[in-house]
Amino acid sequence: MRLAPGVALALVLSLPLACKKGGESPAAASDGTIIIGATLPLTGSEARIGGFYKEGYELAFEEVTKAGGLEVAGKKLPVKLVLLDDTSAQATAASLAERLIHQDNAQFLLGTYSSHLVEAQSVVAEQSAVPYVNGGGGASHIYQRKFKQLFGLLAPVESLAAAQMEWIDAQQKAGKLKKPASIALLWENTAHGNDFRKGVQGFVAQHAADYQIAIDESFELNGRDFGALLGKVKAANTDVFLADAHLPDYITLQRQYVTAGLCHKVQSYGARGSEKQAAEALGKEHVQYVLSAVWWSSQLESTQPSVKKFNQLFKARFNRLPEWYQALGYETARALFLAIQQAGSTDREKVRAKLAALSVDSILPGGRLSFPAEHGQQAQNPFVVQQNQPDGQSPIVWPKDVASNPGVAPNPSCAK
Amino acid sequence: MRPALPAWLPPRILIGGAVGILLLALIPAVLGLSPYVLNLLTLTLLTVSATLAWNWLGGYLGQVSFGHAAMFGVGGFVAARIQLSGAPLPLGWLIGGIAAAALALVWGHPTLRLRGPYFSIATIGVGEATRLVMTYWDWLTGGSSGLSLPVDLTLKAQLYYWALALAAVALLTSYALRRSSLGLSLVAIRSDTDAAADVGVRPTLLQDSVLFLSALFTGVAGGLYASYFSFIEPNDMFGFDRSISFVLMAVIGGVGTIAGPAIGAVVFVLVRQFLIASYPDLYLGLYGALLILVVLFEPLGVTGLGLRALRLWPRRAARAGEAR
Amino acid sequence: MAQLLDLLVSALLLAGLYATMAYGLGLIYGVLRIVNLSHAGFIMAGAYLGWVLHTKVGIDPYLSIPIVLGAAYAAGVLLYKGLVKRLPRGVAGGVQSLLLLFGASLLLRNGAYLLFSGNDQTVRTSYSTKALTLLGTSFSINRLAVFGIAIATLVGLHLFLTKTYPGKAIRAVAQNENSCTLVGIDVERISSMAFGLGTALASLAGLLAGTLFSFNPSFGSVELLKSFVVVVLGGLGSVPALAAAALVLALVEVFAILLIPSYLTSAVGFVLLVLVLIIRPGGLLGKRAIG
Repeated sequence: MRLAPGVALALVLSLPLACKKGGESPAAASDGTIIIGATLPLTGSEARIGGFYKEGYELAFEEVTKAGGLEVAGKKLPVKLVLLDDTSAQATAASLAERLIHQDNAQFLLGTYSSHLVEAQSVVAEQSAVPYVNGGGGASHIYQRKFKQLFGLLAPVESLAAAQMEWIDAQQKAGKLKKPASIALLWENTAHGNDFRKGVQGFVAQHAADYQIAIDESFELNGRDFGALLGKVKAANTDVFLADAHLPDYITLQRQYVTAGLCHKVQSYGARGSEKQAAEALGKEHVQYVLSAVWWSSQLESTQPSVKKFNQLFKARFNRLPEWYQALGYETARALFLAIQQAGSTDREKVRAKLAALSVDSILPGGRLSFPAEHGQQAQNPFVVQQNQPDGQSPIVWPKDVASNPGVAPNPSCAK
Repeated sequence: MRPALPAWLPPRILIGGAVGILLLALIPAVLGLSPYVLNLLTLTLLTVSATLAWNWLGGYLGQVSFGHAAMFGVGGFVAARIQLSGAPLPLGWLIGGIAAAALALVWGHPTLRLRGPYFSIATIGVGEATRLVMTYWDWLTGGSSGLSLPVDLTLKAQLYYWALALAAVALLTSYALRRSSLGLSLVAIRSDTDAAADVGVRPTLLQDSVLFLSALFTGVAGGLYASYFSFIEPNDMFGFDRSISFVLMAVIGGVGTIAGPAIGAVVFVLVRQFLIASYPDLYLGLYGALLILVVLFEPLGVTGLGLRALRLWPRRAARAGEAR
Repeated sequence: MAQLLDLLVSALLLAGLYATMAYGLGLIYGVLRIVNLSHAGFIMAGAYLGWVLHTKVGIDPYLSIPIVLGAAYAAGVLLYKGLVKRLPRGVAGGVQSLLLLFGASLLLRNGAYLLFSGNDQTVRTSYSTKALTLLGTSFSINRLAVFGIAIATLVGLHLFLTKTYPGKAIRAVAQNENSCTLVGIDVERISSMAFGLGTALASLAGLLAGTLFSFNPSFGSVELLKSFVVVVLGGLGSVPALAAAALVLALVEVFAILLIPSYLTSAVGFVLLVLVLIIRPGGLLGKRAIG
């Protein structure tokens, strides 16, 4: 009898079953190795940043391995990282999280990079009751779902915008900006950009007499021609130019900004601005006085000894200074290690409880790390605001207690 | 006694299909699959349904759509909104599918009259415009932040059976659209629309109906997909890559054949899942090479290869043609 | 008023870029009735070739135009002789060629990915941030140069197609293939020449776009979509009509910002594309013949 299509289909569909047999890893518990799963975008459009996080993870795992393992209830247990490539695709990220839990026997998960991937993966972690610690998802709505298993080290992007506004506000109070100051707000239409916009709007709403948003427009990721948008910005003639963009869009937009003859008293691209690549692509003189706010900076070493230690550790291994991505990757893994140690057990629920109660010294700005329940277990560390200077450096200008430079406003290179 | 069956459905096909579906339905209970494998199967079944639906338009009618993500996305977001309003899931999926089908008729009724590559180009425009507008309309899609659905711990196990049912109905529809007398009309329209109209086939009505069905199934698959992931985001749902993947799966599996696109979908999902982990750098090029090989040497794709293998077996040579 | 002038300048400069992007696609469609989806791949390849020649060999992007044109022409002829020629001609081959050339585009993208990784690249020259100021409006030197090349290509291509023998042969093939064979035109040779020329023009557009924007291996698909709009508006085949269509698209996109949110301005082009296809499948401005 001829195989009917249904049977054939059933046979083909059962192929994954065969693969399952081959892929199954030996039971984890035999030598007590703690298996920790993670995915990162190692190829595709976010590959560069995924690679940075990978360096941070590797550094943290190597540190534990060098110490002979993680001390849990008096015993030193080895840790193993199973790292897969999610290619920055949402469905892949979620499927791989399932694979890590059910097939690679990962006891805990570390997160990937960018908010929508973290959001997709955290659903899987929550369903399977596996603690999920991430340093790559900063959109606050992810945490508003009040998941029990989800812990985030990135402070909300709204606070990033607010930190920049605080510095701008200090300049205004010092009489360096006029009152009220008008703002052109341009944001990439992503979760990141959305939250940046909300942050600026929130700050302006609280200081309605001092600021007004004259332009509020979004643009598409990987945009090409910003001519029309910049024409509108030029016509509005605002004091402040606040944009939120990925690195390639920052470079493309800033190039068109410069050639359109624009200049603002204060200019920012959200988290971007201090990148060496941008200075090379645009010329140092075209990125000077650009403001940027990031989750971490190696310059914090002047006030935080733990940062100095981390910088040295990183430099010894990779021969250059870390950026915030590597620091967040490292600190994400470390937070999980600390919680396991404090729990004295690899029991998922016990570790989850310790993560929820965690309050430890940290290399993050502010010096402490915790996952406050009232913010859906999203860390609320302050941001550091930097400003590019003519000498090519980007010193911290805000918050005041860690600032090494007061910052410059209004931009002296604007004519008139 | 034999129950009365339509002429296009011989009993052995029905029995074979039913056995296959039954096997798949029993697999989780009998083998005690890990949730990972079960979920992979669910995802595969959803992809199978959507690709079969694409094939009714792209294969049977020869109108290759590069914009099916628009229907998938609309189905997903409408279903998600309805689920959030508290209605039962299946109702949400159904309404999502109907919304997608209605939207498809709005742009499809005029563009289906276009011949050759013009229709394909129009679908690219439709797909991209839909993506941009949907990303902007945050009242429906939540904007670029996307929509989160409540996490239900038992849902994923149930979704397997829903996805299986959808795939079964899609397969049956594929069979019916090809083998019933309707199928002949579709072939006639594909080869020469004007001539078909001359002999009494109504191309406009049939093309619109096939598009409606295709969009309906794609939309329902999108709705199930939304429930499955509990989080959807417009740039992913409406992405051009998704539209392209339907084309790739159908072409690799065997465009215009009954079950070929289903096989293509299975191959595609497996390649994605297992190759990406070991050779993430090569999978795009692999699809490209497969596409070129299929177009040049085996227009019926994997199905065509299978038929060739069957033909090598002389006893079966006579029957092999039937599967086309 | 000043804003309107700024927008007008933006639209003009953008139109130049759109026109260069669309010539290649239009030429290949006009002659071979093939929608060349590998257009995207060759735009990307042009950008990378320019970048490699600039950063590794030190040739200015504008001086590397002949190299890029030559290399892409050869690649196009090769692609035609190796793959495209094997397909049936006319409507029957329409969908197949779509898929085949999309496959070629995926291979190119994967190739670039393996060679250069997925990182974004930019070409920086001494003039990439320079601008001229006239009447209170700022003109980017780079954009002006791109505009100039678009005009030069328009004139050159038009003269080539109307005044030279191979050009006339290309137009003849576009109009009626069968009678060409009768009067002794080698249709195969002319077709491969047209395909090569179309590919070369795609790479030229990529090279120019690469001097303006950041790019990575997926570069080119946005450009392909815009080229579709231009080619459909312009009526698939006539060079001056293509240039005019590019101007229409640029004007509509740029001035749309006065009415709708900036994010949606790129959707306007796609809506226009679908509407034109429905209302006038032959294009708004075009006649069938090429030249």
